Amino acid sequence: MTILSSIPQSSAPARGQSVNARILRLAWRSSEMKVASLLFLALCLLTLLGPFVIDASATKISVADKFLPPVFMEGGRLPYFLGTDQLGRDLLLRSLVGLRNAFLIGVVSVMLMFVLGCAIGIFSGYRGGWTDVVLMRITDIQMSIPVIILAITILGMSRPNPFTIVAVLVLSGWPIYARVARSVTLAERQKEYVRAARIIGASDLRIMVRHIAPSILPPIAFVAVLDVARMMIFEAIFGFIGIGIQPPTPTFGTIISGGTQYLLNAWWITIVPGCLLALSLGSLNLMGGVLERSRNLVLQGAA
Amino acid sequence: MAAEPLLKVENLSICLGSAGAARPLISNVTFAVKPKSVLGIIGESGAGKTLLSRALVNWVRPPLVITAGRVIYRDRDLLALPETDMARLRGREIAYIGANPTTALDPTVPVGHQIEEKLRTIEPGLSRQAARKRVVDLLDAVRIPSARSRFDEYPFQFSGGMMQRAMIVDALISNPKLLVADNITQPLDVTVAAQILRLLRDLQRDFGTSIVFVSSSFGTIVDIADEVVVLDKGSIVEAQDTGRIQRNPVHPYTKDLLAKVPRLWHGVGSIPEANAEPVVLSVRDVAKTYAVKDRTSLFRKNRVQAVRGVSFEVRRGESLGLIGESGCGKSTLSRLLSSLEPPDHGAIEVNGVDVATLRGAALLSMRRRFQLLLQDPYTSIPSHVSIGATIAEPLRIHRLASGRGLREQVCGVMQDVGLSPDLYDALPVGLSAGQRQRVNIARAMVLEPSVLILDETLSALDQVEQARLLDLFDNLQRKHGITYLYISHDLAMVRRACARIAVMYLGKIVEIGDNETIFGEPAHPYTRTLLSSVSTVEEKPFLPKDYLLEGEPPDPIHIPEGCSFRSRCPFVIETCRNVEPPLSPRAGGSAAACHLGLDRLPAPSIVLKAHNGSDLKRMDSL
Amino acid sequence: MAFALEFFLRRISQGVLIVLAVAFVIFTLLRIAPGDPIRIILGPMATPSAMEETAERLGLRDPIPVQFLRYLGDIARGDFGNSFIRGKQGGTTGGSQDAAGAPPVERAAVIELIARALPYTLLLAACGFLLACLVSIPLGILAGVRNSGWPQKVALYLSSFFVSLPNVWVGIVLIYLLSARTGWLPAIGYQHIGYVVIPAIVVAVELAPVMIRSISVAVATNVQDPFYEIGQVRGLSARIMLFRHVLRNAAVPLLNSFGAQMIGMLLGGLFVVEYIFSFPGIGLLTINAVFQRDFPVIQTVAIFASTVLVFINIAVDFASTTIDRRLKF
Ligand code: SF4
Repeated sequence: MTILSSIPQSSAPARGQSVNARILRLAWRSSEMKVASLLFLALCLLTLLGPFVIDASATKISVADKFLPPVFMEGGRLPYFLGTDQLGRDLLLRSLVGLRNAFLIGVVSVMLMFVLGCAIGIFSGYRGGWTDVVLMRITDIQMSIPVIILAITILGMSRPNPFTIVAVLVLSGWPIYARVARSVTLAERQKEYVRAARIIGASDLRIMVRHIAPSILPPIAFVAVLDVARMMIFEAIFGFIGIGIQPPTPTFGTIISGGTQYLLNAWWITIVPGCLLALSLGSLNLMGGVLERSRNLVLQGAA
Repeated sequence: MAAEPLLKVENLSICLGSAGAARPLISNVTFAVKPKSVLGIIGESGAGKTLLSRALVNWVRPPLVITAGRVIYRDRDLLALPETDMARLRGREIAYIGANPTTALDPTVPVGHQIEEKLRTIEPGLSRQAARKRVVDLLDAVRIPSARSRFDEYPFQFSGGMMQRAMIVDALISNPKLLVADNITQPLDVTVAAQILRLLRDLQRDFGTSIVFVSSSFGTIVDIADEVVVLDKGSIVEAQDTGRIQRNPVHPYTKDLLAKVPRLWHGVGSIPEANAEPVVLSVRDVAKTYAVKDRTSLFRKNRVQAVRGVSFEVRRGESLGLIGESGCGKSTLSRLLSSLEPPDHGAIEVNGVDVATLRGAALLSMRRRFQLLLQDPYTSIPSHVSIGATIAEPLRIHRLASGRGLREQVCGVMQDVGLSPDLYDALPVGLSAGQRQRVNIARAMVLEPSVLILDETLSALDQVEQARLLDLFDNLQRKHGITYLYISHDLAMVRRACARIAVMYLGKIVEIGDNETIFGEPAHPYTRTLLSSVSTVEEKPFLPKDYLLEGEPPDPIHIPEGCSFRSRCPFVIETCRNVEPPLSPRAGGSAAACHLGLDRLPAPSIVLKAHNGSDLKRMDSL
Repeated sequence: MAFALEFFLRRISQGVLIVLAVAFVIFTLLRIAPGDPIRIILGPMATPSAMEETAERLGLRDPIPVQFLRYLGDIARGDFGNSFIRGKQGGTTGGSQDAAGAPPVERAAVIELIARALPYTLLLAACGFLLACLVSIPLGILAGVRNSGWPQKVALYLSSFFVSLPNVWVGIVLIYLLSARTGWLPAIGYQHIGYVVIPAIVVAVELAPVMIRSISVAVATNVQDPFYEIGQVRGLSARIMLFRHVLRNAAVPLLNSFGAQMIGMLLGGLFVVEYIFSFPGIGLLTINAVFQRDFPVIQTVAIFASTVLVFINIAVDFASTTIDRRLKF
């Protein structure tokens, strides 16, 4: 509110920092952020080191060891911490590999859709006129094909592999980024600094790349963390329906769907990897949520 | 008159934060408001005025904390009242109007409906029709034109002045005993502010409401208040009745405040003279119209005539001021001048070359010579780039320097504009508005422009910083022979800085002339209305009672036939109705667009002294 | 009202164009996808000459634009074509590949298949959406009004938690807990209204976090707006300001996120949930159609889905421009 901003030299410690630094700082101050990032780091480490430390295989079939429950249950034994599946493969390792694959697919596809979407959005918003109308109608078209329909059409018809999966995710994800980037650019274009840049002779490209992009992208990027989690969920769903990465490479979707038949006798095949996935997604989402909240607070001037 | 005060404030203190880290913002303030009178509170920005006025309605929220004191309204301490009792007083007996009327109401509900909603909350028994009638009547009473249809219009369809009138209706509809008005004229144009002030005075007389009128303008305060308290850094330094405080202020701060009020007629100091150098910038019959969607009809667009044929010339090393109120087309003109948009017709020539014909490299080099400074020092420079890089950017774009040379050149300019070169690698966060504006100036000056347009460049700054920058501009002009075009609504600034002045109204120049003529003997009624509305503490040659009429400029979509000022002109004659007066030259190179001659207008009420022989302080010596 | 008329004229014509474009994209995609539809229709034993004859008869050898125009012509007459696979008598439980060898004339009309599945999908959508509203509206508003305090925390935790649960997994866990293990509720297929409960919970779990988040952000933004506090100083209670004004203003961004995001999510969620639970709605129909390369079904569903999205968006935009008159369209 004006009353606070009119107080001279407010004692807020955040003075002298750029907006982005303030957002990160504010986010880091919350305990949720610390817990979530620690959890996330731990999972990363586990994923990286797990295959070397655990003496078991994610893909080798060993009938003798099938349907072993997790170690904390009766009948479970090491090295199978989380038990084994119907073919005697180690569930923890399978989950970790699945996690890594899902995470890679999530990060790559979000990065691509972020770049593509924001570039189109900034261009569209800055140019305005017919360019804008045409580009926005294209996003309309793209957005009116539900992701799942697009995915099952493309992936169900062709043989899915990581590239086509990323392609489908990017294809269905970019319009949202384009929309957001465009609407911020529209507001940004009116601002004095853009006019100031044009007056000193800066070209349109320069203004878009050097002036508009750096000021609008970070806030969008903070929220993109949430999308990584969303994409990982899509990857799991694809796997479950059978249009994700194909076996024998383990993915969450295939592990879960493979286990459904044995739900009553060996529930852990389905439930346990899901918990691991939920845990990692939870940490990502919590980080994203805190970042989003801090961003809103900072942009509204409340902090 | 009963001596018992309506409202007493006793030893009020307010802090930011609590306990150890608390910073006092209001300390130990005591005053009283008599029934049926107007108390003025004056102070500079940051003095705590808004906070104090909010404390009067017990509207102080964390992290602000009232640490001591009482606000006694008719024997009850408002600060100690339970929230429910306070809610019963707010909006009923005690009303509050804030500085920003455009954000005060729900933007999605028609203005009239919101006032009606308030009235019916306060008087639940009232029928819809009766409530509506009362609101419309009062809207009429504050001279909102066609109040009945305005009742159903949305806040964004109201101009700032109309909205402030609506907020006054909203406050007075419940017949409050006390009205707290926090800087209500501040965002308004001078003529509208003067109208609002007059309206408030009339209403105060009719309704017998007591008013606490908070303002940062001495001129406004003395116009309306019976008594004045002066607030400095949260404490009251002086309290007197209005007449006396003007004649003999006691406290040094009050004296200082009085001296800082810009003078337009008495003791203005040296005034820039017009010169006879060659013409650098020439604008010929420039016009611009925008099409906007008309919501009330199918596929129709409205044509907003923002600029309707403007011509003027500026000579080298001269300063021309372009003044007018909001909506007069000066910001559109500034956009046209910066050649970011082409005019619909007409030409803008720099050194004899039509800017619209330039392309590529020629356009770039013209841009270099022709710079524009914008108003908002906060949004006009990027916050994530270091100051040096910001200033250096134009050099890079125009490929004028690189490497060491670039840094040296930038540091040189920084020194020129009064920025320490140490700031080269710093980010602009933390810079004051004045320093930021210097970064802007440096960024323009680094290109060594020959014409500099100042689009409200100084409006966001306080008096002192403004004076300093004006001096800076003077120096730069002497040093580099720069031509300035000041686009502004601030008469005092233009009076001080410009040799020639053009007055715009509704997309046209209605009068143009040298500084002395425009302020001393203007020939257009609008110029005189403007001058009469300025809030000053000096005697004015033109008085509101002669020139100030109700009404606002017509909207630029439906411009009436004949003289565009006729709806507000006190001297309108039959011819004005259908013949548009041309801009006809007068003696001394000035010109005005009015059918009446100078002899048909009232004579100035005071005769001005020669401008140099003054005993009062010069503004820039403060 | 001229404004509304122009709005609809313009947006509906745009919308029709968009649907046509989507239809063309999907149509082309399916034509160039691997898998010869003739072989699917006639089965693996058909002779090359019979296949060629059928292809000619069905016009499958014409250029794609010609086929597309013919398809549009058929649609205009209300004929969305026949399923390649499903017989006329196809049961509603779905999932079964019935009558694979039936002669082409006996195949079910796509429009009938959809008409049969649609009520189930609508029922599931309505239940899931209602359930999500029940949780997220109160929580979202509470979290939005204050910048701190427990509702804010609960909202953050709950939405971060829910959004981290893949719906396929939630579905299976719920089947295990509520059905397989305890037998409280039925889960697979559809026989009576009880079968909708678990799927609806899964849909709601997917929607709720997004809704909680958008509601609390929208409410928080408007509570920050000066008119909220000034309204209280004007003499209106905080409750009136919240319910009559803040919520009204918050509805605009909410409607937008509903049109842009939630409807898409709801559709996608329904597809997956129906598949998990063998719930005989549009989603199950489509997923099975994909695996069986039943092109007429896929393209009709895709066109239907995008039509629904486009028109819901038009409705949403109309609602927001009616609420906030400052918006252009
Ligand atoms: S022309 Fe007529 S209406 Fe216009 S300013 Fe002169 S007197 Fe007034």
